[in-house]
Amino acid sequence: MNPASLIPTADALTAHWGWFQFLLMLTFPLHLLAMNAMLGTALTAFICHLRPERPYQDLSHELAKALPFLVAFTINLGVAPLLFVNVLYGHLLYTSTVLMGLFWLAVIPILIIAYYLAYAYDFSFKKMGYSAMYAVLIVLLLLMSVGFIFSNNMTMMISPASWPRWFATPGGTLLNLADPTLLIRYLHMMTGSLAVGGLCVAFYSSTVLKHNIAVAEAGKTLGMQLFTWLTALQVLLGTWFLMTLPTAVMKRFMGNDMLATGLLMAGIFLAVATLMLGFQRKVIATLWLTIPLVYVMSFMRDSVRTGYLAPYFDMTKVPANMQWSPLIFFLVVLVMGIVVVVWMLSKLRYIKKVS
Amino acid sequence: MNYPVWYVPTFGGGLLIALVAIVHVFVSHFAVGGGLYLVMAERKAIREQDQSIMAFVKKHTKFFLLLTMVFGGLTGVAIWFIISLIHPAATSLLIHTFVFGWAAEWVFFLVEIVALFVYFYTFGRMDDRTHQAIGWVYFGAAWMSLFLINGIIDFMLTPGTWLANHDFWAGFFNPTFWPSLFFRSFMSFMLAGCYGFLTATFLEDDQARHKMIRYSGIWALISLALSVPTGWWYISVLPDKARGLVGGASPTIARAATVAAFSLAALAAVVITLILLNPKKARTKVMTVIVMIAAMGYMGSFEWTREAARRPYVINEVMYSNGILQKDVERINQEGFLKNAKWVQNKEVTDANQLEAGRELFLHQCFACHTVGGFNNDIIGRTKNMNYGAMQKYLATIHEKRYFMPPFVGNEIEMKALAAYLTAGLNKKPLTDDAAAGNRGKGLFEVNCAACHGAEILKPEIAGWSKEKIRTALDKLPALNPAMPDYSAPVADKDAVADYLHSLNNPGSTASAKELGATLFEDNCVPCHGFDVLKPKVSGWSKTKIRTALDKLSALNPAMPDYAGSATEKDALADYIVKQAGGAK
Repeated sequence: MNPASLIPTADALTAHWGWFQFLLMLTFPLHLLAMNAMLGTALTAFICHLRPERPYQDLSHELAKALPFLVAFTINLGVAPLLFVNVLYGHLLYTSTVLMGLFWLAVIPILIIAYYLAYAYDFSFKKMGYSAMYAVLIVLLLLMSVGFIFSNNMTMMISPASWPRWFATPGGTLLNLADPTLLIRYLHMMTGSLAVGGLCVAFYSSTVLKHNIAVAEAGKTLGMQLFTWLTALQVLLGTWFLMTLPTAVMKRFMGNDMLATGLLMAGIFLAVATLMLGFQRKVIATLWLTIPLVYVMSFMRDSVRTGYLAPYFDMTKVPANMQWSPLIFFLVVLVMGIVVVVWMLSKLRYIKKVS
Repeated sequence: MNYPVWYVPTFGGGLLIALVAIVHVFVSHFAVGGGLYLVMAERKAIREQDQSIMAFVKKHTKFFLLLTMVFGGLTGVAIWFIISLIHPAATSLLIHTFVFGWAAEWVFFLVEIVALFVYFYTFGRMDDRTHQAIGWVYFGAAWMSLFLINGIIDFMLTPGTWLANHDFWAGFFNPTFWPSLFFRSFMSFMLAGCYGFLTATFLEDDQARHKMIRYSGIWALISLALSVPTGWWYISVLPDKARGLVGGASPTIARAATVAAFSLAALAAVVITLILLNPKKARTKVMTVIVMIAAMGYMGSFEWTREAARRPYVINEVMYSNGILQKDVERINQEGFLKNAKWVQNKEVTDANQLEAGRELFLHQCFACHTVGGFNNDIIGRTKNMNYGAMQKYLATIHEKRYFMPPFVGNEIEMKALAAYLTAGLNKKPLTDDAAAGNRGKGLFEVNCAACHGAEILKPEIAGWSKEKIRTALDKLPALNPAMPDYSAPVADKDAVADYLHSLNNPGSTASAKELGATLFEDNCVPCHGFDVLKPKVSGWSKTKIRTALDKLSALNPAMPDYAGSATEKDALADYIVKQAGGAK
């Protein structure tokens, strides 16, 4: 069976594809940054439980308070890019979603459990005592399992060759485990996430928690150690991932596609630069370079997707019936929403401190 | 047909969507109404300088945060996940049409999260005015989420002028938009009042508890009272066909309406009792739990009705529940379904693959609503009383006979393959073309004649003909009408067809009286209920009573269509039923 014959017909777009691509590439890295901070916070909090010193115990309590916020924003900031992926690649995404339906739906109960457990870890931190360590470890493992499910869907949707398996197994129990890039891709993603997450913890410790010098120092040290060592590991994993890609896709980064090659160069440059700054414990400077690095990595990821889909699908060929007013409506709502959020956050400066 | 199907025969997709949707509907409406409730209750505490009420509001906010943000937020995502699994084609259409509506809703979701966090974590640490303003921001953002989703959900029921112009705003501000917006808003306020009841009963301070129970009760009662006329307004703007379903033509809606009526009555009664009567005895946790259940019953029935009123479509007049676009039906009927479907292995029906092709047709056309031996709408149970011939006829007019079922889409051979799968494949019945077992003539007529003229057309034409005249005519059909081909068949077949045609106008004249009754029963009744269901209901009924009932079936049960047969046919049917049911003569 020719897998291309299984690809559903894409629905017409309601704006030029460039708008959706722009919004996707704008919002997805924001989701990644929140997700990285969430995983990094959970991991650091767990490590803190293994250290007997007082600052580390206090740090884990501080991180416990931050974790539910990060879960909330990771989910919220994940909605926007998933929406734009639905628009651009919906016909592919829904297909792979059906193939792995059971796992895909499992994301919801896993997230609900992880989220409530994160709240329990926050609200009942002291009451939990020793078991708090296991609570945050379970939160971390649950959230990382969600990442694994997403990695499966995102790789299966770009591999129509794996789709005919549905005819024998239509119960939604398929994963993309036979894909040689899956595990290394997931490892690459998680290592990068935990590294950036460590940096976020270091940033949080040296800014929000700076009034408690010992705790701030503990957070900064631990966070930057995570960032630097995992980023160093990431250089190796990234290379390995690149090597496992199908030749046609890999060659995009080796000169066949100037944009992809440029992105790889920029990625390597930024990674090395953040590593150097990271080893010098320059938190703010490292963060300033890491944000563009996350964007570059997202663009590279997008280029890999385009490479995989080249034989099957070209989003620029999807017909579009442009209607401006809904787009303008959204942009106005977005600007107003940001203004209101900034106004609300600005009011936090005036709140009374409680002991 | 454009997408693969998630095949979970026991549950079926519809049930999963219903479970997730109903849970989400309660929490999400509470998230809206509760926002207003919190700000108003906080204002009451500020005005009355009452610390116990303020403490209650703070505690309620924590419960609210944990329920709406975690559970409400994630079940909202869950609906998106599950509809893309069960109705990928419809989800794609909705996402593509309303992407900027969803995107704006995401912004309000973000504002909601920030506002609720700030509101909860700054209780007692921020000046009252600003804290109240943050509360209002939360409510405003939550209500705007309702506003946006309301437009998209109602579009699915009443797409309105979007059908002609495909304009975003025409689809969004569709005919049911405003009544539904008001109705949902009052529902959400009512739910907030009911939740307020529940948490207020946990207050230890006697005075504060009574104050807040009274306050919540008035909330719930006023919202409940206002929801009734807006619900009526909503129903009144439905298109005729949907209103027909709501009016009782759909069996599932009839059940939902009963639940709604009882819930509404119970809710009003308990709420009034709680507020007015015997504060000490009535204001208990058990009573507030009854209120919650009744409120959910009321709301759940409304949602169920709205979903069912859309049938047989997932997007009214646009896409059937099985993902087939209405505009494609005629073309696919000509070209064949399997040829046009992407996710099938049998592109054409042959003798060898008939059952397998039928299974694929079932998967893509029926499984969206029917389980296979499962909990909900089990196809095996629904079809067990029909044989191959009756099934073919049923499929041919399934949508006309029962509006809420989508039409079969495909060519005649494919329809036979589906009928074969449903009867021989699932119910292990023989694959004979006889329409009613034992009535070969009718089966032969269906196969050879009915494509051009059904029995209804022929019946007046041959009124008064003797059996012999009909039999002779069958030997030379082109002599009757040059457009008719000769019927070349064995003598026995022709005899059987002549017998059948003669019986159309002379039901009592041949042994076919019983057969006619059986055939009529199979054709008209069995699709919904076989004798296993009917027998206990009509046991002991006289023939006259059955015959009278056949004149006005909708009076027995509004979900039953009236039977349009002739008086002779009704007699034959009544005869047959009375014999089968063992009733009195």
